[in-house]
Amino acid sequence: MTTYRIEKSGWLTLIGIIVLFSTAIIAVLIYPNYVDPSWTKPSSYYQVQMYEISDPNIYIGTSLKGGQTLQFVQRLQKGYTLLAFQENETTRFTGPAEFEPYITKMNDSKLKLTSRLLLTREPSDASEKRLRLQKAWEEKHPNWEKEELLKPYFEVLEIYDPNQQEAFVVATPDQLVQNYVDKDYEILDPSDPYHHHPGVIYAVNPREFRLSRYSFNGTLLWKYDPEGTPLKGLQELEGHELNFRSKKELISFGEHLFAIEGCWYCHTDQTRTLVQDVVLNGSAEYPAPPSSPNEYIYQKITFPGTRRIGPDISRVGIKRPGRDWHKGHFWSPKTTSKGSVMPAFRHFFDDDPRGTDRITVGIPNYRFEAIFQYLMTKGTRITPPTQSWWLGKDPVDTKAIIEGKRG
Amino acid sequence: MTTYDDSPVKWMLYPSIIFLVLGMTFGVFIAFNGFVYPDYFSGEYVHFGRVRPVHVSHVTLLWLLSANIGLFYYFVPRLCGTPLYNVPLAKVATILWWFSLILGVYSFPLGTNFGWEYAELPTWLGFFPIKGLTTIAWLMVVYNLAMTIATRKYEKMYVSLWYTMGTLIWTSFTFVVGNFAINWLPGGISRVNVSWFYVHNLVGLIFTPMGLAQAYYFLPKLANVPIYSHRLSMIGFWSIAFIYAWIGSHHMLHGPISQWLQTTAIVFSIWLFIPVWTVVTNLFATVGQNWAVYSKSAPIRFIIMGTLFYLITCVQGPLMALRNISEITSKTDWVIGHSHISLYGTFTFFAIAGIYQAVPDIVRRPLWSNQLADLHFGLNLLGSIPFIFSLWVGGFWQGMLWSNWADGTSYAEFHRQLTLLPFLDTIAEMWIFWVLRLIGGVIILFGNILFLVNIFNTALLEPKEATL
Repeated sequence: MTTYRIEKSGWLTLIGIIVLFSTAIIAVLIYPNYVDPSWTKPSSYYQVQMYEISDPNIYIGTSLKGGQTLQFVQRLQKGYTLLAFQENETTRFTGPAEFEPYITKMNDSKLKLTSRLLLTREPSDASEKRLRLQKAWEEKHPNWEKEELLKPYFEVLEIYDPNQQEAFVVATPDQLVQNYVDKDYEILDPSDPYHHHPGVIYAVNPREFRLSRYSFNGTLLWKYDPEGTPLKGLQELEGHELNFRSKKELISFGEHLFAIEGCWYCHTDQTRTLVQDVVLNGSAEYPAPPSSPNEYIYQKITFPGTRRIGPDISRVGIKRPGRDWHKGHFWSPKTTSKGSVMPAFRHFFDDDPRGTDRITVGIPNYRFEAIFQYLMTKGTRITPPTQSWWLGKDPVDTKAIIEGKRG
Repeated sequence: MTTYDDSPVKWMLYPSIIFLVLGMTFGVFIAFNGFVYPDYFSGEYVHFGRVRPVHVSHVTLLWLLSANIGLFYYFVPRLCGTPLYNVPLAKVATILWWFSLILGVYSFPLGTNFGWEYAELPTWLGFFPIKGLTTIAWLMVVYNLAMTIATRKYEKMYVSLWYTMGTLIWTSFTFVVGNFAINWLPGGISRVNVSWFYVHNLVGLIFTPMGLAQAYYFLPKLANVPIYSHRLSMIGFWSIAFIYAWIGSHHMLHGPISQWLQTTAIVFSIWLFIPVWTVVTNLFATVGQNWAVYSKSAPIRFIIMGTLFYLITCVQGPLMALRNISEITSKTDWVIGHSHISLYGTFTFFAIAGIYQAVPDIVRRPLWSNQLADLHFGLNLLGSIPFIFSLWVGGFWQGMLWSNWADGTSYAEFHRQLTLLPFLDTIAEMWIFWVLRLIGGVIILFGNILFLVNIFNTALLEPKEATL
C-alpha cells in the first residue's frame, strides 16, 4: 500500500491556518501596544514616583515579635531623596547658618527642596529655646488665658549633616498619598533625573530612626528610641532581627497573594465605563473615573476579572482606606459585612504568641500587611494628590445620564 | 486489515474519566462551600479561591483535553488507515502529561496559582517546570499525530482530520502565547489582552475543533450514515480559523482597553454565527437521514444534545459580545453558565459519546450496560437543566439588579439609593439559584459516576450473558 504524504492542498491549508492566525496575533496582540500609548505610558509623574521612588524606600516592620505595633521607616539616599525643612506655626529651626538656605520659612513663597542628605534632631538647648518662643507668644497674646487659647508646644529642631550616603528616618504611618508638590517649589541642588519632573514627592523634616535593645523574659527585643543607636544599614533593617520589608516588596507580594488565594475569581479590578460602576465606586458627590489602561502598568499580573461575587476593588484605596476595617474584614467577613459569602482569611493572622492580648482578632502577619498594601494602591495613584482625581474625568457623562439630560 | 495498538488511548482515556468524576466532585464541593453554605469548611487550603482552580483545571485539562487527546489517538489512526506513528513516544508523552498536570493541579490549594485565567498552572513546582513539561508532552502528541497523518494509507482526508490538524497548530500556539509569551510583554493591559486571547482560544481554537472533529467522526460512525455535507464542514472549519483569534478582547467590553479593539472583537464575534450554523445544520442533517437511531443509542443522544447546547452557547456568545447585552450579563453568573454550557454541555457530551464508541471497540467487548448508558444520559440532561438555567436566570437577574438598582433625578440621590441597596443584597437574591445549581450538579455528578462504573466494567469485567 502507498502512503500519502501531505500533498499540495494540505500544505496550502497549513500555510493558510498559520497566515490567518498570525495576522490576528499581530493585529490584536502586538499592534495595540504601539498605537495606544495609554497601554504603556504612565498615568502621571506621581504614579511613576510612587512606584519607583517612594515604594522601594519605605519599609514596614513590627517592633515586637509577632506584635502589631507597626513601624514605618524611610530610607534616604544622598543626591536622590528630596527633603524639605519646613517651618510652621509651631516648628522652628535653629542651627548653623550653613543650612539656612534649606529652610522654608512660613512666609516663603516657594517650597525649598534639597537632595543633600540632612537630618533634624532636637538641639541640646531645645527646652530653653522653647521657653523663649512661648514667652514671645505670650507677649503677642497677652490675654491668652482669658481668650482660652492653648499655649502652643513649639518643636525646636536643628539641622545636621550626618555625612552618610544613606540614612533611615521615621516615616508617616499609613500614608496612602505622599507629599507631592508641582508648583511654587525649587530644588536647590537637582541631581537625579526625577528631580526634573514637573512635580516631585519629598519628605519633610526627617528624624532619624534609632533603636535601643532590651531584654524581656530572656528574649532580646528592640524598640524605637530617639536616643538609641542609628541603623548600620539596609542589611540590618531587612535582616533577621528587625525583619523590615519595603512597601514595594509588600505590594508585589500582595499581588502574588491576590493571585494564589484566588481573590480575582470574585473581585474584578476595573471600573467600567458604565453608570453602575462609576457611581458605585464614586463618592457621594462625584462618580469615580473609569479605569484606564495605564493604572496597571506596574503590575506583573493584572486581574480585570470575569465575575463579581464580591464588589469591585479598583477604587478600594479610596473607598476603604482603613487598616482596621480590612483587618476585621479579613478575619471574619461575615461579621463585618452581613450576608457576605467571602471566606475568612485567618491564615493572614498569627496566633497571639504570649496570649496577653485582649483583642479578639488575631495579630496580622506580613501576609495581611502585603494584601493591605496592595489593595491600598488601587485608585490612589492615578493622579497626583494636588489634583482631584474625579474632576473633569467623567467620560461616561454619569451626571447628565442620571439627570436625564442625555439618553 | 491494519491492527491498531490502542494502549495510548487507554492510558489517556481511563484516568481522564476518573478526573471527570473528581473534577465534578470539586465542582459540587465549591457549589456548596462557596455559595450555598459559604465557608462551611473554612481554612487556608479549602476556601473557594484555592479550590476553584482545582475544579476548573480538572475539567478543562485533566478531563476534557486529556480525553480529547485519547480520542485523537483512537480515531486519527483509523481515519488514516495506519497505526499511530510512534506508540512508545505516545506512552512517554502520556506519562509526562499526567505527571506534570496532576502535580500542577493538585498544588493549587498550597498556593501555586499563576494568576491568569485558565493558565493557572505554576511555571515551577520545586524542581519541576510544570508548564514546560506539559508543553513538551503536548508537542510530542502533535508530532505523533502529525506524522500519523503524513504517513496515512487512505488518500482522502476526512473533515475530522482537518480539524485535528488545525487543533495541533492552534493549540501549540495558543498554549505558548497564554502561558509563556504573556511574560514577555509589558505589564498591565498588554498582558490582560493576551490573557483574554488565550482564554477565548482555549475554548475556540482548542476545545471547539477537537470537539467538532469528534462529533464529525463519531456521529456518522454511531448512526451508520454518511456526513450530510463535507463542504459545509469545510466552511465551518475556515470560518473558525479566520474568526476566533480576533475576539479575545470582547471579555473587556466597557473595560480599560482601547475602544477600537473592543469594536473589532464585537464585529468578529458576530461572525461566529457562520461556523455555528454550518456545524449545527450538518450534524442535525446527518442524523436526520435516519432519526430512528436517536432513540436507540445513548452516545448519539449525547452528540445531538451536545449540538443543541452548542447552538445555544453559540447564540449566547455573539449576543453577549454586544455592548448593551454585555452591560447586563457581564460579571454575572451568566458568564459562568456560558462557560459550563460550552465545556460541559457541548464538548463533554461529545467526548462522552466518543468514549462510549471507542472503549468497547478497543477492548473488543460490548458496552457493559446499555441501560446504564441511557440512565447516564438521562441524568446528565436532567441535571443540566437546573444547573445551567439557574446560572442564566440568576446571572441575568443579578445583572438587571446592578444596572437598575438605583434611581434618582440627581447624582446625589442616585448615589444615596445605590448605597441603601448594597451589593450584598444582590448576592442574597442569588441564593436560591445557587441551591438549584448545587442540585443540578449533584445529579450530573451521580450520572457520571454511573458512566465511570459502566466504562470500567466494560474494560475490566467479562461481558455479561447475552441476555442483554
